[in-house]
Parts: sequence; structure tokens; C-alpha cells
Amino acid sequence: MQNRTMEIGVGLFLLAGILALLLLALRVSGLSPTASTDTYKLYAYFDNIAGLTVRAKVTMAGVTIGKVTAIDLDRDNFTARVTLQVEKDVNNLPTDSTASILTAGLLGEKYIGISVGGDDVVLKDGGTIHDTQSSLVLEDLIGKFLMNTVSKEAK
Amino acid sequence: MSADNAYAVELKGVSFKRGSRSIFNNVDIRIPRGKVTGIMGPSGCGKTTLLRLMGMQLRPSSGEVWVNGQNLPTLSRSDLFDARKHMGVLFQSGALFTDLDVFENVAFPLRVHTQLPEDMIRDIVLLKLQAVGLRGAIDLMPDELSGGMKRRVALARAIAMDPQILMYDEPFVGQDPIAMGVLVRLIRLLNDALGITSIVVSHDLAETASISDYLYVVGDGQVLGQGTPEELMNADNPRIRQFMNGDPDGPVPFHFPASDYRTDLLGKR
Amino acid sequence: MPKKSMIDRIGLFGRAGIDMVSVLGRSTIFLFHALLGRGGIGGGFGLLLKQLHSVGVMSLVIIVVSGIFIGMVLALQGFSILSSYGSEQAVGQMVALTLLRELGPVVTALLFAGRAGSALTAEIGNMKSTEQLSSLEMIGVDPLKYIIAPRLWAGFISLPVLAMIFSVVGIWGGSWVAVDWLGVYDGSYWANMQNSVTFSGDVINGIIKSIVFAFVVTWIAVFQGYDCEPTSEGISRATTKTVVYASLAVLGLDFILTALMFGDF
Repeated sequence: MQNRTMEIGVGLFLLAGILALLLLALRVSGLSPTASTDTYKLYAYFDNIAGLTVRAKVTMAGVTIGKVTAIDLDRDNFTARVTLQVEKDVNNLPTDSTASILTAGLLGEKYIGISVGGDDVVLKDGGTIHDTQSSLVLEDLIGKFLMNTVSKEAK
Repeated sequence: MSADNAYAVELKGVSFKRGSRSIFNNVDIRIPRGKVTGIMGPSGCGKTTLLRLMGMQLRPSSGEVWVNGQNLPTLSRSDLFDARKHMGVLFQSGALFTDLDVFENVAFPLRVHTQLPEDMIRDIVLLKLQAVGLRGAIDLMPDELSGGMKRRVALARAIAMDPQILMYDEPFVGQDPIAMGVLVRLIRLLNDALGITSIVVSHDLAETASISDYLYVVGDGQVLGQGTPEELMNADNPRIRQFMNGDPDGPVPFHFPASDYRTDLLGKR
Repeated sequence: MPKKSMIDRIGLFGRAGIDMVSVLGRSTIFLFHALLGRGGIGGGFGLLLKQLHSVGVMSLVIIVVSGIFIGMVLALQGFSILSSYGSEQAVGQMVALTLLRELGPVVTALLFAGRAGSALTAEIGNMKSTEQLSSLEMIGVDPLKYIIAPRLWAGFISLPVLAMIFSVVGIWGGSWVAVDWLGVYDGSYWANMQNSVTFSGDVINGIIKSIVFAFVVTWIAVFQGYDCEPTSEGISRATTKTVVYASLAVLGLDFILTALMFGDF
């Protein structure tokens, strides 16, 4: 009798722990149960990836279609080469699509947004997006703003 | 088994040091088989340490500890485990396992050393509890027992495996006269009925002397005297006399070592 | 009392240092014997279950209540600080990350040390002083296997579980305050959180931390009980030592682990 309640208690305790783990996995960290192995690789070269991190999302029209899996320095061109893993069903990206590094919210994280071009040829696994727009660097923005103000006043 | 059948336990040239302090120096003790032997001495002389040495809870710094024809310090772990089946110990505080009830406490050694079926274990436990007069307490928890009852249950547990040697560590401390009488009777009864060897470590002179067949008086790290109770009562050794007669002053002085009384009183002004 | 000279004081320091090293050695031998010696867990699964109950299940109440309160406070404070940057919607990820990476493992370990750790020390110390440990030895049972090992394993298993439960109830408590009271959008709370909390980075690292803490806290608690002076004064000193040493160890290790896990700058 006392043994039974103890066993049940411990069992419930461990179940609660497993439940907590599941909750943490699914609801808190957003781990999706669908295996993301159905992806293909694309590369994109940027002049400045400031703030972009690995595992940042890749979106099109605001919908997440993949994520960044690697960021390396291309030593020949001194540009950053970003490796993207895009879902296989999004396989009709024209080769002249644009990849831009955007900011989520004012202080938010950087992510990559892809806007389509008009070419007939589509990007395949291992392909490269050539048209890229680098990250907005705050200092450049401020510099531009100040320059504009100065030139306006000069008029 | 060796030829020492007359003696159940023999300590030969045993020395024991704790750190740099020598507790025992080359001690020889022989416990005759089948009798009640008392080991007495003033408090702090290491009587309990002797018991622990006999039970191999402590290892002697040198010397041999022969129990039932085996030299304990030389035994392997599994041999020591088997040897422990034949020894029962009653600790000063009873030392019942507080999270087990009386039945489980007494059954504990049986479960450890044997694979007996449950109904046999139950029978044996009932037998042992009946021997100490506590069969009715079989379902109680240790904290529901009085001090004296705890000790009796601990005794039942000590005899659960029908050991050949029973060791009692200060069994009479703090007992009321009735409990004392019960214990004295039990020790003598068990010894004679079961034919075991009993070793009683105590500083309670009257009770120990009344039930012991043989006595050792221990002090200063060695054996001060041995013999039957009558022999020791008439001993010549002044230390033994002081102990047996309960003299407040003698070889063990009344005054704790201090500087000269006069200078202490007058000097500090 | 004769005044201590400088030499004496230095000698005391030296002795304290040597004592510490010898305690470390003793406790390591103790640990190895209890965990790795022959005989597995003495007393089998039943004893482990019993200890899991007394160490883990009995700590649930304090963990859950503390978790809820800390989660709610985090949300409150976080909201007030973030609103000065206009980023209240980020409160979800703040609460989650703080709990998962830091407060979950650390606070749970500290509470555990205070509640379960001190109870373990007192229990074992009491068993030592009433000679139950000696009795076990005389009956032929190794107290390190029968008494200590189940308690060690129970601690190793319980603390990570408790830490996870703490984080979960904290995040939910935070959501009650943020969403139901302060008006953060339900979707933002959870979506921002999911976007920024990574399972392998944050959740797993938090669990690793709590496993390390479990090891250290339980080890200290059990050893202090086993090693204490078998008097009531010795037991109370040992209990205090458990709480102090375990808490310091947890906080120190937390820094080291955080630097290792999240500090790749």
C-alpha cells in the first residue's frame, strides 16, 4: 500500500520530466517534428553579412523556406559565402532571384529574404544566387543620413 | 578450523593506533568458547575499539585476530562476508534501521545471507522475537519502541542467523532496573540455551560481574588483569582494585592535571 | 591562551590546505567505491525507487512553486525593461532563454541543495551516529552500496528532471503575466521564443548544466553525511557545510559552464 503510492509517485514524477522535455522541445524551442532532410543547397555571396548568423531563417514573401547552415569567407573575392538549405518543394527559384539580408524588427535578428526574378532557368542543388544585397550597417545609414542633411543644408 | 577450540576469539599481539596515538599495545586476549566473558575498564580506554577489532570493522596495526579458527585480517572479502554470518553484534544504541519495521529489521540478516522463502523467514523472525519477548511488537516501527525494547529487537536481529559469537557493546547503559534485569536474563539465557560465546563490553561493574564467567580489565592500552570475578575482586593490582571497588581516587587520579593550587589562587592578582 | 605567532598562523593555513586536499581525496575514493565497486546498487531497484521518491518527488512542491514565481517575476521585470526599448514583444524569448540557460539549472540546484541535500546529509549523519552504518557492516552489507549508492543515483536522476520542470512552469508562469496581464500578444510571446530558443543550443545545454550540478550537489550532500562527526553537533555542522559548499560549487561551475557553452566570442 505504501509501496504502491510511492511507485506511482515516482512514475508520475518521471513522466512529468519527460513531458517537460517534450514541451521544451516542441513549444518552447519550436523544434518541428518533420524531418528537414528534404532540402537542397544554395550558395550566395555577400559583401557584408554583418549580424547574420548560422541557423538564421531563409524566407520568401515572408514565408520560411529554409535556413542558413554555414557562413565562410571566400578568400579569393574577399566576400562572404553563405550556404542556404532550402526546402525541396521550393524548387522553382529563377537563377536571377535576389537574396537580401533583412532585419526582423528594429533591433531584431538578421535573416535572408529571397525575391524572385524572371528567368526561365531555375536554381538547382549547389547553385549560386548572384544577385545579393548586403546587410544594412547602422553606421552607413547614419552616415548617409548625415550626408543628406548636410547636402540639403548646403543648398 | 584450527585446534583453538577452547577459545572462540583470540587476539594475539594486537596493536591499534589511531593517527599517532596508540590505543592498544601488543594485547593478548582469549575468549573462552561457550561462556560469557566481560571486558571492563574505565571509559575511554578503548573497549568498544576492541569489539570492532574482533569484528573486523577496524584493522589492527599489527597482530592477529583469530575468530572461529580464522585469522580475520587475512581473509578475502567474500570469506569475511561468510565469517560475519557467525557473529552477532548488539550496539550500544540498538542501531535498528529506522526506515524498516521490526519484522524487516530482524529479517534483514536472513535476507542478506540466505535465500530462504518468505514463510520460513517469517517463522524464524517470530522465533527470535519470542526469545526476546517482543513477538507482539512485530509490526511496529522503531520510533514507536522504547529504548529498552529497541535493544531487545536489536538482540533478536543479532541472533537471527544463529551466530556462534555474540558481542554486546555497553548493553546496560542508561537502562532502568526492569530493563536491566531483562537484558541480564536474556544474555545468560541465550548463552546457555544456544551454546554460544558471549562477549560483554561494559563499565557497569555489578551487572557485568554478575553474569560473566570470566573477566578482562583493560586500561592504558593493555590488559590490566583477567580472571573470574572473584579472583579480580581480590586482586593486588591497585588499578584493578580502584576499578572494582569504585574508589574515586587512586591510580586514576581525582584531580585533572593542573598547576600548583596555591600559586593559582594567589598568583593572579 | 598563548598568542599565536605568525609561524603558527601560517602553519594553520598549511594544515587547512592539507586538510582540504585530504578531504577531496577521501571523498573521491568514497565516490568511486559507492558508484563503481562490485555489487551495483545494493538493495536493488526498490531502494532506488524509494530514494527517487524522497529526493525527487518530495522536492516537487518547492520547485514548482519557485518556478512559477520566478517565471512571473522575470516576465514582469523583463516587460518593464524592454518597454523602454519598445521591444515588449521580446519578453517571451527573454523569459525562456533566462530560464533555460541559467535560472532553471542554477536555482533548481540551489533549492535542491537546501531541501534535499541537507535532508540527505542529516539522514546519513543520523545513521552514522546511531551506528546503523556499523550494524550494516557487521551484518556483512557494504553501507556504501546499500545506503549511499541509491541516494547518489536518485540525486543524479532527479535534479535534471526537476530543472526541466522548473523551466517549463517558469515559462508558463511568465506567459500568464505577460499575455494575460500585461497584454503581450500571445502569438508574439511564443513565436519570438520559438525563433530564438534552439533545442540543441539552449535546452540541451541547460540539461547538461543540471546534470553536472546534480552530480556535484548529491556527491557533497552524501559525503558530508558519511564523513561527519557522529554527534548531533557534528550532524548540524555537516548539514550547514552541505548547503554552503554545494551552493558555492554550483555557482562556480555555472560560470565555467556558461563560459564554455555560450562564451564563444
